[in-house]
Amino acid sequence: MATARQRHFSPHSQAAATGAVQHIEQLLQGNTALWRGCDLAGQGNSGQATGFSELDAILPGRGWPRNGLMEIVAPHWGSGELQLLLPLMRSVIARGQWILWISPPYLLYAPALVQAGVDTEQVLVVDLETSCRDALWTMEKALQTGNCGLVLAWQDWLPGKVLRRLQLAASAGDTLGVLFKHKDSKHSPSPIRLQIKDCSPESRPCSEAEVTLIKARGNFRPLSTRLPLPLSSPVKRSGAARA
Amino acid sequence: MKEKGPGAQLPLPALPDREGARVIHLKPASRAATEQATSRPRRDSLWYALYFPQLQALNEEQQQAALRQLAETVVTVSSSISYHPRALVAEVRSSLNYFGGLAALHRQLQGPLQESLQELELAPHFHYAAAVTVHGSLLLARGGLNAAVYQRDNLRSALGHLPCEVLQLNAEQNRRLYNMGVRRLLDLWRLPMDGLRRRFGSELVTLLNKALGKAPEPTRNYLPAPAFKTSYELPYGVENLDRLLPVADEMLGQLCDFLRRRDLATDRLLFMLQHENREATRLELGLRQASRNNAHLLQLLQTHFGKLTIPAPVSSLKLTVLQFDAFSGKSESLLTQDRPRSDSNLDLFMEQLRARLGGQALKTIHSVAEHCPEYACRLSDYGSDKQGRQKQAVSDRPRPLWLLPQPQLLTLRGSRLYHRQAISLVSGPERIETRWWSGEDIRRDYYVAREASGARLWIFRERSAQRRWFLHGIFA
Repeated sequence: MATARQRHFSPHSQAAATGAVQHIEQLLQGNTALWRGCDLAGQGNSGQATGFSELDAILPGRGWPRNGLMEIVAPHWGSGELQLLLPLMRSVIARGQWILWISPPYLLYAPALVQAGVDTEQVLVVDLETSCRDALWTMEKALQTGNCGLVLAWQDWLPGKVLRRLQLAASAGDTLGVLFKHKDSKHSPSPIRLQIKDCSPESRPCSEAEVTLIKARGNFRPLSTRLPLPLSSPVKRSGAARA
Repeated sequence: MKEKGPGAQLPLPALPDREGARVIHLKPASRAATEQATSRPRRDSLWYALYFPQLQALNEEQQQAALRQLAETVVTVSSSISYHPRALVAEVRSSLNYFGGLAALHRQLQGPLQESLQELELAPHFHYAAAVTVHGSLLLARGGLNAAVYQRDNLRSALGHLPCEVLQLNAEQNRRLYNMGVRRLLDLWRLPMDGLRRRFGSELVTLLNKALGKAPEPTRNYLPAPAFKTSYELPYGVENLDRLLPVADEMLGQLCDFLRRRDLATDRLLFMLQHENREATRLELGLRQASRNNAHLLQLLQTHFGKLTIPAPVSSLKLTVLQFDAFSGKSESLLTQDRPRSDSNLDLFMEQLRARLGGQALKTIHSVAEHCPEYACRLSDYGSDKQGRQKQAVSDRPRPLWLLPQPQLLTLRGSRLYHRQAISLVSGPERIETRWWSGEDIRRDYYVAREASGARLWIFRERSAQRRWFLHGIFA
């Protein structure tokens, strides 16, 4: 509200109040608790670096949020949605917090995590066959305890009430929760929704992904960027390697 | 307390103003006279020793355990039982009248003891003896005499006939005693004690003195295992489990008081919810770490209640402790900034998860040094031992974050591979040939491939006869 008003007033009362406006501007910018609809940069650097400078540039707060709920939409698993989070996982582990994987769609493969530099000592997998209720209960509890730095869950469709509850739990426990989805739901209350799509050209081995910020608190229109997502080590070795 | 006999000395007030005040001198009473005056026959305690020579075959720990179990039987006749090597000694003077003599008491014990020995898969026989000193009875039992000595004065002669082996000295000491011509304890009585002490050390002399009642005999006594049971009758049948929580809270409060007084904690509890005309619902609470925190236990119970369905209204509630554990406290740093991020929160969270989801749902993963991709990643239950979990070197070739539980057969149409959409190879091959020794011969060429939709896959081609293609992982 305050920002909108300030925008209206500033052209009219230029001469008299330039100094005062600048002062207010400074005050507003210094306040991290305030988000300003008009100014993405105004949020400062409250986020945690994603490890991709292109992504940092479009995210509010210049990085992943410290806490809250985030939705990542991928048309199918394997579009690079986990690679996007690997730098974040490394920093969570470095902080001594746990990463909780709640009923992942496939087997989480430890050697790949080790290759990516994620210590598996602090990784916990909750392996549930069917029960969606238990998965949500687990997610809420995990978000509430401050010991988990990152909670990952794969849930395709969740009602807004549940999402809001998870969001509250996440901000109470100061934890980041990530929901992976196949489809985007338009009216989801999660503060950040991303869509990731692979867009690497057929011919090139190095793959590229297009990340679209469908919604983020702090910006108005969808932004998108392209990220290079290389495999952990590019493979080009001739001849057969004997095992 | 000192007796106020005729010999007691009274303090007289000094009277300086009156001349010629006489000071009365009282003769100090002799010890014998005092004893005569308060002559009550001193009753020695009577010690009943049970010696189990067959325990020799077991190791130290097993012996301890066996003695503990046997003590549970002996506790029916005596309240103070002490442990000795391969023997138990019980005080029976206090219960002699009740059972009607030593013989009756022995009959009472014999059957149950033989049963417990058989349960322990040991020969069902034992030596027993009773004497007025702990070690005296022990030596008699070791000698296999099955004797009873009620009088302190008779000890010396009763023990005298025992061979020196009952002292259970080491081989060197036995040899020396033999060379000195000492065959029986009788021969030891004749030797001067200070000479014995110089030759054999004070231990032997102390043992002899204890046996003769000349030295105090401190013992390590049997303490019965703690048990906790409480129940609560509800005034009416309760269907809503949440209404039980205040009652459960009170019961857990009692439990925690009990535990705190004995410096114990528990890691397994049993709640029995009794119904009318129905079988009781069992609710077992298992804790990952022993606790005596009322609030923690209640929270766990609440979690259990959350997924419990009861067949009928609950009429009463019973609480039993299945397993006690020693309480281990944590000392915290005085300075707040030194305190590490508390893990108790995490433990609490893990407990809750386990309570709700069951122990098998929580997994930790770690990589194993294996060439075969299926075996290179292992899931194990959270909290299981961390043996062999040192950091393993992993291959430097690309590995997918998702692995399919079973390799999935890909279709080959013309020269193109199809999964959901067409697949094109990106890099490879990486040849893996392993496990020929275990019968499942794995010979595969792994490739990184790309689906038309953009998903990157990890696929392999068999190198055996059929040369089929399989999807094995997804690079997420």
